[in-house]
Amino acid sequence: MSPVDPDLLSIEHLSVVIRRPGREVAALSDVSLRVGRGEVVGLVGESGGGKSMVARSIVGLLPGGSHATGAVRFEGDDVLRMDDDALRRHRGHGAAICFQNPRGALSPTRTVGRQLTDRLTTHQRLTEAEARRAAEEQFAAVGIRSPRRRLGAYPHELSGGMAQRVMISLATGCAPGLLIADEPTTGLDVTLTREILRRFRHAADTDGRGVLLISHDLASIADVCDRVVVLYAGTVVESGPAARVLGRPAHPYTRALLRSVPDVDGRAVVATPGAMPLLKAAPHDCPFAPRCAHATAECTAERPPVSRVPGAADDWTLACFHPRTDELAFAEPAETPGRATAAERAVLEVDDAHVVYRSRFGKGGHAALRGVSLRVAAGETLGVVGESGCGKSTLAKLLLGLVSPARGDVRVAGSRMSDLRGGELRRLRTRVQMVFQDPIGSLSPRRTVADAIAEPLRALGLPAARRAERVEAVADRLKIDRSMLARRPHELSGGQAQRVCVARALAGEPDVLVFDEPTSALDVTVQAQILEVIADVVRDPARGSVFISHDLATVRGFADRVIVLYLGRIVEEGPVDEVFGNPRHPYTRALLSSAPSLGDGFSGPKVTLTEDLDDTDAAAPGCPLAARCPFADDRCRTEEQELRPYGNTRAACRRVPEIPDLLKGSDIRV
Amino acid sequence: MRIVRFVVRRLLQLIPVLLGVVVLTFLLVRVLPGDPIRTILGPNATPEDAAAARARYGLDQPIVKQFLDYLGGLVTGDLGTSIQSGTSVGAEIGLRIGPTFELVVLALAVALVVAVLLGVWSARHADRAGDHGVRLTALVGNSMPEFWLGLVLILVGYSVLGWFPAPSGRVDPDTNLTPLTGADLLDAALTLNGPAFGSALAHLILPVATLSIVVVAPLLRSVRASALEVLHSEPYVAATAHGLRGRTLLRGYLLRATLARLPSLAALVFGTSIGSTVLVEYVFSWQGFGQWALRGLLYRDYPVVQASVLVIAFCYVVVFLIADVAQAVLDPRVQI
Repeated sequence: MSPVDPDLLSIEHLSVVIRRPGREVAALSDVSLRVGRGEVVGLVGESGGGKSMVARSIVGLLPGGSHATGAVRFEGDDVLRMDDDALRRHRGHGAAICFQNPRGALSPTRTVGRQLTDRLTTHQRLTEAEARRAAEEQFAAVGIRSPRRRLGAYPHELSGGMAQRVMISLATGCAPGLLIADEPTTGLDVTLTREILRRFRHAADTDGRGVLLISHDLASIADVCDRVVVLYAGTVVESGPAARVLGRPAHPYTRALLRSVPDVDGRAVVATPGAMPLLKAAPHDCPFAPRCAHATAECTAERPPVSRVPGAADDWTLACFHPRTDELAFAEPAETPGRATAAERAVLEVDDAHVVYRSRFGKGGHAALRGVSLRVAAGETLGVVGESGCGKSTLAKLLLGLVSPARGDVRVAGSRMSDLRGGELRRLRTRVQMVFQDPIGSLSPRRTVADAIAEPLRALGLPAARRAERVEAVADRLKIDRSMLARRPHELSGGQAQRVCVARALAGEPDVLVFDEPTSALDVTVQAQILEVIADVVRDPARGSVFISHDLATVRGFADRVIVLYLGRIVEEGPVDEVFGNPRHPYTRALLSSAPSLGDGFSGPKVTLTEDLDDTDAAAPGCPLAARCPFADDRCRTEEQELRPYGNTRAACRRVPEIPDLLKGSDIRV
Repeated sequence: MRIVRFVVRRLLQLIPVLLGVVVLTFLLVRVLPGDPIRTILGPNATPEDAAAARARYGLDQPIVKQFLDYLGGLVTGDLGTSIQSGTSVGAEIGLRIGPTFELVVLALAVALVVAVLLGVWSARHADRAGDHGVRLTALVGNSMPEFWLGLVLILVGYSVLGWFPAPSGRVDPDTNLTPLTGADLLDAALTLNGPAFGSALAHLILPVATLSIVVVAPLLRSVRASALEVLHSEPYVAATAHGLRGRTLLRGYLLRATLARLPSLAALVFGTSIGSTVLVEYVFSWQGFGQWALRGLLYRDYPVVQASVLVIAFCYVVVFLIADVAQAVLDPRVQI
């Protein structure tokens, strides 16, 4: 690592209050942190903690009505007191932000190449022709295939991962001293997340830039950060070397965060009740005290000062009267009861289903599912994992009867969906219920919570009195306060709204519950609360559940069996511990290898896939993974692979018996 | 190419649309109360005279036969004969459409340029005095009826200041302009007739000003609103945060994204301004298409009404086609 110069960015006692008519928010209260050259600093915490506000204050882009005190020193100059000219030079060249949601942050009416050359000509004083050449090199450097062609592309023509790469190239194209990455991996797959984060580490190591990595995803950023700063309700609660803060945190909030994260090694999640407060003024007590198990009268009377962690190095500090020094205790891995599923009643059967999305004018189309068969018994939970674009969402739609299979069929509780019409079909549909990814978006804004929960009951034609009875029963079961039933979705927090969505799905006593990434839009501690709710719901012996997620760790937590999808095909299926502990298919192994983990993670030999996911591989003859698989040989590229049994699991790979030997070879990138 | 294919497909769609318009107007004008023959013969005509006239214009035939004759004429480009003037409708349109087209196109062009410049400026100075001034002025202009506005402009520009020619005719007859298209300014330019060009331009200024003041307000509001939206959008904030220069921001990140929303509204405004021309032409004695169509309607001149509705429908469809193409060119996300 290059020598650390502490003077690149130093935020000193920064407080930001946003005043708007009728509303006052203390977004940041007395925040101090620093980033040196060549250093990667992680800024972590949940939404509302003030992470983005820190980023915005570094480039002098605070929202209207905000009032900042303290200092944001960049190479000695205070950003808060710069004039327009100095600020324009500082933005981009001094500190450049990589925005969250790169697709939204790229201008839709300008080619990405032009957007990059705009930055290059502005900050590096290149001519148009030089900038074009440099842009091509930049694109290649961030791993964009055929960069020359991509220069002429518009943002809507790019995939999410590609857009993120372009965004990184735009930020680094300004040649900044400090690179700020605002949630750079949200919505990206595990394999891509690692790759993108590696780019930031690279920027710090080879170009000597400082990097401020803002994220709620502790596990992902754990191994790229040098230091970590934890924010809670606009205050810094803990900061120090990444290995220490994330390995043996001293602040109860950091501990709560870490315990809320599911891990691929299967340990159980411990939920912390409550939610982050929205402060109206700088706090005079510990903002975490109401949620803290160790809080005493002292904590609510006075704000704990920032001090060194007892017996630790200088740069590990925290703001807590009762620092924890013991080992971070995790609950034992959740018991996955070895339920005998074969003999039980099947509530959901899918037999060789193909789904094709036709293009608008008839010819051609895109095959989203290619021959998927599965069976869910009552009381069983089936996990579905895979990268985005692998057909997970299509599978959810298929189970709900929202798309009809081009071939094959779906049977719910023994009735074939394609046989039914009209009222019968409608009643059958109420037997399958879904919990969506975006909790607030999936509730009608004009309906009260009680109305929303009663939706499936209305579809069944229940009289109003019975509906009210059922709604209250379900609300009680999910610990939804009765007073909340009269509210509307915009008055709910994400966690409350997701509880309502689970209640709605449960109201009609369905046979099958489908969870489509139910926690990925939620904050870490809220996520843990919802996972507890879901874990309770899926234990009902009367119904089966399908849990879809790109997050392997979450699936491991409570699925009994798991299927791994790749480009519309099942490549591996089996009991969850078997698939996660001893993956047979190279794709499963690669997914597990790149899954972020704060614990031991995936313990077996690791595999990295060579390229980004490419849809065109789906149509190629032979194994669809062949282009990315390190073990592929000529037969893989020509022979169609079918699921074949290996022990308890089935995998669609002919080389499974040879893989343990191949893994010993030195040609695998780890 | 994609755009060419799109245009051809849309032009083919034009055929059923226009056929529907032909059928509807053919029936509607005949359902309207009033009789074209009565209006040309005067009060003293005998029933025999009326029957003879009716036979001359083919109005004694069964309605299906009349329609088929009319349709047959359309296919060969014959729009029929005006009952009032007895001349060919096609020739009259040829004479009348040029001046009106010139008026509407120029007015809309002026309105668009003004709306974009002021709208973007207004958005960049949102909620300051200048912004409020621009919006108020546009609103006042929009609230005035076009005929009254035209009269005020004539009063000020001609009677008081004497800067502009009298509101009678479109060009000074002494300039010996050879008519080609009927659009005098264009004709003068094509025949390199300098004096006629000046005269036509001078005659155009007041009516164009009237019409554009009337239509500029909705365009300006829309430009301002979408420019504001772009200014607060994530891509623009991102470009600002990367420290791009003001000029790059304006040209590369604000203008095109703002304009992308404009074409469909501009097409709608074009439609309303065709309606507005009737009154403006009246005030300025423009002798254009609007006046001609209105007179045809008042006298129940069947062929004239049918032809004018057909022309207006055709213009509408073509203008919306142009708007769709413009939108696709401006916004790469729009697939055509």
